[in-house]
Amino acid sequence: MPHQLGITIRAPVAAGRVADLRDWLEQIARKGLAEGLFDFTHLRGLHFAKFYLLDETADLDGQRIPATLVFMSEVDAPLRRHLAELIDLAGEGIDQAFGHCTGYPGPGAQRRSRIAWLRRHMIPARAFYVNTVGRGLEQIRQEARLRDALEDYLDQGDWADHTAIAIRRELRTYVAGCPSLAWARKPPPTPSLRFRAGEAVHMVAVPLVLTLLLPVLLLVLPAWAMLLRLDERHDQPFTERPTLRHLEEVGNYEDSATQNPFAVAGFVRPGRLRQLTFRAVLFLTDYGVRHIFNHDSLAGIKTIHFARWVPLDGWRRMTFASNYDGAVEAYNDDFINLIWWGLNATFSNGMDYPPTRWLFLGGAKLEEQFKNTIRCHQVAVPAWYTAYPELSADNIENNAQIRAGLRGDMSPAQAERWLSLL
Amino acid sequence: MAIKLDLDDIQGLIARGYRTLPHARFTIFTAQDPADAHALLSWLLPRVTPAGTFAGDSALHVAYTAAGLRRLGLPESVIAGFSAQFRSGMTGPNRSRFLGDVGESDPHCWAWGGPQEPPVDGLILLYASTLEVLEARRAELASHLAGLAIRQVTVLDTLELGNNEPFGFHDGISQPIIQGLPKASGAAPAGTAGGRVVPAGEFVLGYPNAYGQLTDRPLLPVAGDPRRLLPRDPAGSGAADLGRNGCYLVMRQLEQDVDAFWSYAGQATRRPDGSDDPGARTALAAKMVGRWPSGAPLVETPDRDDPLLGDDNDFGYYQTDPLGLACPLGAHIRRMNPRDSLDPQPGTDASLAVNDGHRLLRRGRSYGPGEGTPAAAGPAAAGNNGHAERLARGDVAPASGTGLHFICLVASLIRQFEFVQHTWLNNPTFHGLYDDTDPLTGSRHARGATFTVPASPVRRRYRDLPQFVRTRGGAYFFLPGISALRYLDQLPASARSASSPSSVTR
Repeated sequence: MPHQLGITIRAPVAAGRVADLRDWLEQIARKGLAEGLFDFTHLRGLHFAKFYLLDETADLDGQRIPATLVFMSEVDAPLRRHLAELIDLAGEGIDQAFGHCTGYPGPGAQRRSRIAWLRRHMIPARAFYVNTVGRGLEQIRQEARLRDALEDYLDQGDWADHTAIAIRRELRTYVAGCPSLAWARKPPPTPSLRFRAGEAVHMVAVPLVLTLLLPVLLLVLPAWAMLLRLDERHDQPFTERPTLRHLEEVGNYEDSATQNPFAVAGFVRPGRLRQLTFRAVLFLTDYGVRHIFNHDSLAGIKTIHFARWVPLDGWRRMTFASNYDGAVEAYNDDFINLIWWGLNATFSNGMDYPPTRWLFLGGAKLEEQFKNTIRCHQVAVPAWYTAYPELSADNIENNAQIRAGLRGDMSPAQAERWLSLL
Repeated sequence: MAIKLDLDDIQGLIARGYRTLPHARFTIFTAQDPADAHALLSWLLPRVTPAGTFAGDSALHVAYTAAGLRRLGLPESVIAGFSAQFRSGMTGPNRSRFLGDVGESDPHCWAWGGPQEPPVDGLILLYASTLEVLEARRAELASHLAGLAIRQVTVLDTLELGNNEPFGFHDGISQPIIQGLPKASGAAPAGTAGGRVVPAGEFVLGYPNAYGQLTDRPLLPVAGDPRRLLPRDPAGSGAADLGRNGCYLVMRQLEQDVDAFWSYAGQATRRPDGSDDPGARTALAAKMVGRWPSGAPLVETPDRDDPLLGDDNDFGYYQTDPLGLACPLGAHIRRMNPRDSLDPQPGTDASLAVNDGHRLLRRGRSYGPGEGTPAAAGPAAAGNNGHAERLARGDVAPASGTGLHFICLVASLIRQFEFVQHTWLNNPTFHGLYDDTDPLTGSRHARGATFTVPASPVRRRYRDLPQFVRTRGGAYFFLPGISALRYLDQLPASARSASSPSSVTR
C-alpha cells in the first residue's frame, strides 16, 4: 500500500477575476467535486480534496499580497499519477478552476504543459499529519466493504447458542468462501521499501544531529527561552469576535458529512525570534507526525484524518488545513483539552493568538479567545471532496482491526473482544 | 472552590425546577410597540422569582430573544456581546442542519418560532402549586396583556409534573449540581460520575466556568449604565455586566410519537410465532433509553427493572460497562451525558472534567391533552413501570400531540446545548458507532436509523428505526439577572447614552 501525500497547489488569481472565481466556487459548492466536471470519485487513491480562496490582503509591512486560489488533495502516492489524473480525468474542472489564475495554459494547451504548470505551482507542507501512515484509499474502501459484509452475515443468523470462537470460525469460513473478499485474509500491504527506508533514516538522523548539536543547543536554548518570554510579555488578549456574516459564510460549507474540511490562514509574527521559533517548531512537528503520531491519533485526538501546516509568501503567512470528524466546536474542544501544548507552540508564533507563557502554557487554554481567533481566521472551503463521507477515523481504524482479527488463532476472550468490534 | 452566587439577582429557575409547583404554563409573546414591551416588563419585574429561599405557591420568570431585547431598546453594540447563536437564532439553514431540524423537524413546519411564524420577543414562564393558583396567575397576566399591544404567539400548557415523560419513563433524574447552591455543599465529592458539582459559570454567566474562565457575555461601559443598576464585571474591567447572573435558555417543543415508539418496540420483539413478548418489548425500550421505566439505570440492573434504583444516579460507564453490554453505547442517557466514557482517559477524573463542559440544566415539562399520557398519571405513576406497560399494551391510548416542552439552561449555547445535540445525540458515529443516532430522540434524515445493542457473543442490530421525536417549535432566549431586567426596564431613558460607545466583551 502506498504512503499518502499532501499536495498543495496555489496560484494568484488573474486581475479582475476574483468575483468570477467566487461565483464559480459557489456553483461548484452546489454541484460538488465527486462527479461531473471533476469526477474525483474516479481519481485513484484520492481521499480528500478542497479548493479555497485566500483574499487579497496586505502583509504586516503593508505590502500587497494578491488573491490566490488554493487546491489541496490528500492522495496515495505516486505524485506523478495524481497530477496526470488531475488533467486526464478531472481536466475540465481543473481547467475551469485555474483558468481564473494568472498564466494557466488553458484547455487548449497540451496535457504536458498543464501538468507542468500544476507542478510548478505546488508548494510544500512543512508538516503533514496522516491519521495512519500507509493506509491507502483502496484499503479503507475494501475494509469498509468487509465490515458491511460481516455485519450483514451476522444479522442473518441466530448466534445465541454459539461461542465466540465458533462464530469467528464461521465468519472466517464465510470470508474464505467469498472470492470478492479474498484479499481480507492477508494483511494489508505496507508502503514501499524505499519510502520506509527514507523514513527510518529520517527517524534516526534527526535525533542524531540534535544530539551532536546538544552542546550548542544547551547554550542557546536558555537565552532563546528568556527572549521568548520577554517577547510574550507584550502579548495582548484577543478581543475580536467573528462576525455573524463570517460565521455564516464559513458555516455554509460545514456539517454535511461525517467529516468537515478546515482551513485557517494568518500572518506569522514579525522578527527573527518568532520566525526561527516557528520554523523550529514546525520541524519538530514534522518529526512528531512522521514518527510518533503516525497511527490512529494525533497526541490523543482520534478524529483527524489529515492535517497540514503550509507556510505561505516566504514564511510571512501560514495556512493550516485538515479534514476532521464532527463539528468545529468539538474539534476546538479537543484541541483545548488534548493538544493545547502543541497548538500553542505552533500557532502562538502567529498573529492574534491568545497570550502564551513559555511557548506552551496559556494560549489555547483561554477557551473563548482561542475559539474566537480560530473562527476569525477560518477560511470558507466552498469546494470539498471526501471519498468516504460516512466513515469516521474511528470507524476506519475499527474496520482495519476487524480485518486483522480474521488472521491467526485467538483465545475465547480474544475472540469475544474481536466480535465486539462488529 | 468556594463561590458566592448572588441568589437575590439570579432568577429562581436556575436554582430549582419547581417540583413543588407541578403546574406550569409558558407564554411566548411578541410586542408590536416598544412602549408596550416596557409596560409588560415593568409589570412583570416585581413578580419575577429570585433564586433565594423560596416557599411560595407560584413563581414567574421572563426571558427574551435578541429581537425582544432590541424591542426594549438595547443597542446593537451591546447585543453584539451576546453569543453568535443567540443573535442569529435557531432556525437558519446552517443551524437546522447542525441541530438535526430537517425533514419533518424543519422549522418551516413548526407551530411557532419558525421563519414563517410571527417573530418571538420573549417567554413568560408561570409555575403554580395548584391548577387554581395557575388559573389566577394566568388571569392576572391575561388581563394585563389585554391592555397592551402584545401578541401571544403561543401559549404552551403543560401536564401536571409527574415523574414520567410521555414515553413512560421516569425522567429528570440526572441534573448537574451547581457549585455555590446549597445542594452543592451536601453533594458527593467532585470525582464521582453521578452527583457531580459543576462550576457555576457553566449555568450562570459572570462566574468561572469549567475552564476556570468567564464566558463571553455583554458588557457595556459604565457610562451606559448611569443609574448603576448593573453589577460590575467581576474580571475587574470596570464595565457594567449585563450578562452576570443570567444565562441562555433553550426552548424546543419536541413532539413525541408514543404510539410509534411502543409499536416499534413491540414489533421488533415479537416471538417467532408472531405473539407479543411484553418483557422483551420493555427491555428493548429500556435499551434505547438506558434506564428502565422506573428510572433504574441499566448499568446497575441490566436484566430487570428495579424500582428501588429508580432515582439512582451514582454510576459511571467505563469501569462497569465499557463495551455497552448493559447500557448500549448509543442509548439516550449515555449520549446525553457520557459521564466517564470520554477520551483521552476514560474512567478518570480527566474524562469527567471534559464531560463537565457539556452539561445541560434541564427544566422541561411534558405536554399533551392529558389523557393517556404518563405525566397525566401524575406522581402515582412514579417508581414503577406500570404506565409504560399500559402504554405498551395499548390499554391506554397514547395521546396525539404529546411531547416535551424541552427547556435547558446553559452559559454557552454552542459548547453545551448545540454540542450535545449535534456531536452526541444526532451523531451517527458517536462512540465508534457507524449509523446510529439517538434511538429515542435522534433525527433519521438520510442516516442514523440503526440501533446497535451490544451483547455477548454478538451484538444485535435494529434497522430502519422510525423517528419518534419531531421538533415543532423553538427559540433561543436570554434569562437575565434581575438587575439586568431592571436595566432593560428603564432603557429608553438611557438608550441613547449606551448606544454611543461600543460595548466591551471579555
